[in-house]
Amino acid sequence: MKNKPDQDLPPFVKSWKQFYRLLIGWLVMLILVFYIFTIYYK
Amino acid sequence: MSGADWGVLVFTLVAIVSYGIYKSRGAQNIEGYLLGNQSSPWYAVCLSVMATQASAITFLSAPGQAFSSGMGFVQFYFGLPLAMIVLCITFVPIFHRLKVYTAYEYLEQRFDLNTRALTAFLFLIQRGLSTGITIYAPSIILSTILDINTTYTTLCIGSIVVAYTVYGGTKAVSYTQMLQMSIIFCGLFAAGIMVVHLLPGDIGFSKAISIAGKMGRTNAIDFKFDWNNRYTVWSGLVGGFFLQLSYFGTDQSQVGRYLTGSSVGQSRLGLLMNGLVKIPMQFLILLIGVLVFTFYQYNRPPVFFNSFELNKLEKSRYNPQLNELKKEYEHAFNAKQIEVNKLSKALEADNQQVIDQQRKTLQAADEQTKKIKGKVTDLMLRNDKGANVDDNNYVFLSFVTKYLPRGLIGLLIAIIFLASMGSTASALNSLASTSVIDIYKRLINKEADDEKYLKASRWSTLIWGAVCIVMALYAGKIGNLLEAVNILGSYIYGTILGVFLVAFYVKHVNGRAVFYAALLTEAIICVLGFNEVVAYLWLNVIGCLLVVVFAVLLQLFMKNKTAAV
Repeated sequence: MKNKPDQDLPPFVKSWKQFYRLLIGWLVMLILVFYIFTIYYK
Repeated sequence: MSGADWGVLVFTLVAIVSYGIYKSRGAQNIEGYLLGNQSSPWYAVCLSVMATQASAITFLSAPGQAFSSGMGFVQFYFGLPLAMIVLCITFVPIFHRLKVYTAYEYLEQRFDLNTRALTAFLFLIQRGLSTGITIYAPSIILSTILDINTTYTTLCIGSIVVAYTVYGGTKAVSYTQMLQMSIIFCGLFAAGIMVVHLLPGDIGFSKAISIAGKMGRTNAIDFKFDWNNRYTVWSGLVGGFFLQLSYFGTDQSQVGRYLTGSSVGQSRLGLLMNGLVKIPMQFLILLIGVLVFTFYQYNRPPVFFNSFELNKLEKSRYNPQLNELKKEYEHAFNAKQIEVNKLSKALEADNQQVIDQQRKTLQAADEQTKKIKGKVTDLMLRNDKGANVDDNNYVFLSFVTKYLPRGLIGLLIAIIFLASMGSTASALNSLASTSVIDIYKRLINKEADDEKYLKASRWSTLIWGAVCIVMALYAGKIGNLLEAVNILGSYIYGTILGVFLVAFYVKHVNGRAVFYAALLTEAIICVLGFNEVVAYLWLNVIGCLLVVVFAVLLQLFMKNKTAAV
């Protein structure tokens, strides 16, 4: 099997760590939005 | 279904399957058949892992679940983005570096053959059983449309998937999945727009959600901690994290998808994009179920959505009692509709006092219709003990076939087929990889040539296909299909994940300790699960932690014993 070396970087950000932080932020934002949705329509 | 719908359905299915077969044509070797020569870009990896996870069950059960009990199920996916991150940091680079075909291959390098064989065996049991359920889900669609028993439809659908997976291997799976997901996104978007369009003129999108909300259907978030509540933020974040980590990290049907990535970076990016998209997608599917719920507050739904079971009851000696219940149901619906209209006016006038009062009245009315439905299902069971009385899987289907315009019905039915075919094909491919690489090649025939292993892979796919079809024939006796798959996974995933976590992070534990720890844990998890001591999502956490703790303790014990000798 041929594998390219691990040189790829994620788009829009400078490192994989930044991408992970972005994903965690996205999750927190979704929970907040869904919470507001739940309260608003209850 | 009209001729136009059949045309759209048949054209979509034939076009996609032909495309998959065309792209995977030509001579193959074992690496091409099982790993697609590791050449996929990130978007192919992303769509492939999404298509593998989003089976037809996702599109049948989830709207039905929102219809009957609300949107709390979305919390189940909260652990997924976190799991994607851990996967990208640990699992993906290791699997790529070691150039493995299956996740379990790594365990022999780290521990021993016993541990590899045990985890491969647990995977084969779990995936074999759940793939049966995955095949069964779309077969109920054809059953409802053609009004024939699900046995024949299960056999028909299973055969199509098995045929193209056996022929094209992982390449056929990936190419079909890319197109499948694109069509699924378009179709769902169209369905959402159509539900809103079909609502009464004075009921817009926001008001429709408000009405459903007042009747307890928009409960997307629950922060209360309760061990026995299946869907809370905490069970989703913690239990869901462990379930998703074990599913994506140790289930070969997913590992096989991202191992097709052309590099570590492409596999990572595919998984992380899945983490970004999955929760909003699931939320929107549940939201469609909520809109369908509001639609049925203005249009009387059938007393039971599964027309096959209802027809059976109508032809039985219980028909007079059923007719009485239908009348009772009609009265209850008419009374409820009056209250819904009052609520709608109160919402317009923003009269909080009336809104609160109507909410209580409507929740009571809702309970009343549920009671009548309960009496209908009792009759069904009296008539036939083996009747399928779970209605959730038929709610969306019934709506689509009855109210959507020509052409769109065919497209949505095609989506459900495609989703099922995508996840079933991945599962069959992974069952074949594990059977051939971890069992046949490792234990039975070590010295065969590439051609022999390729032949064995095709045979293995075919045999597993047949086994899964047989499983599917018995899946109708299980209630909510989506939950059944997840519950089954929770019995096994935690244990397998525990083994992998020990492998990655607890370096001093050896194979013997982790092997016995896994056996002991599986026994405890089965006892906890069968006795319903905790909600099933927690079994993943408990299973994983127990393996780690037992492995460390057993290692200590074995070390002391060796020292004493």
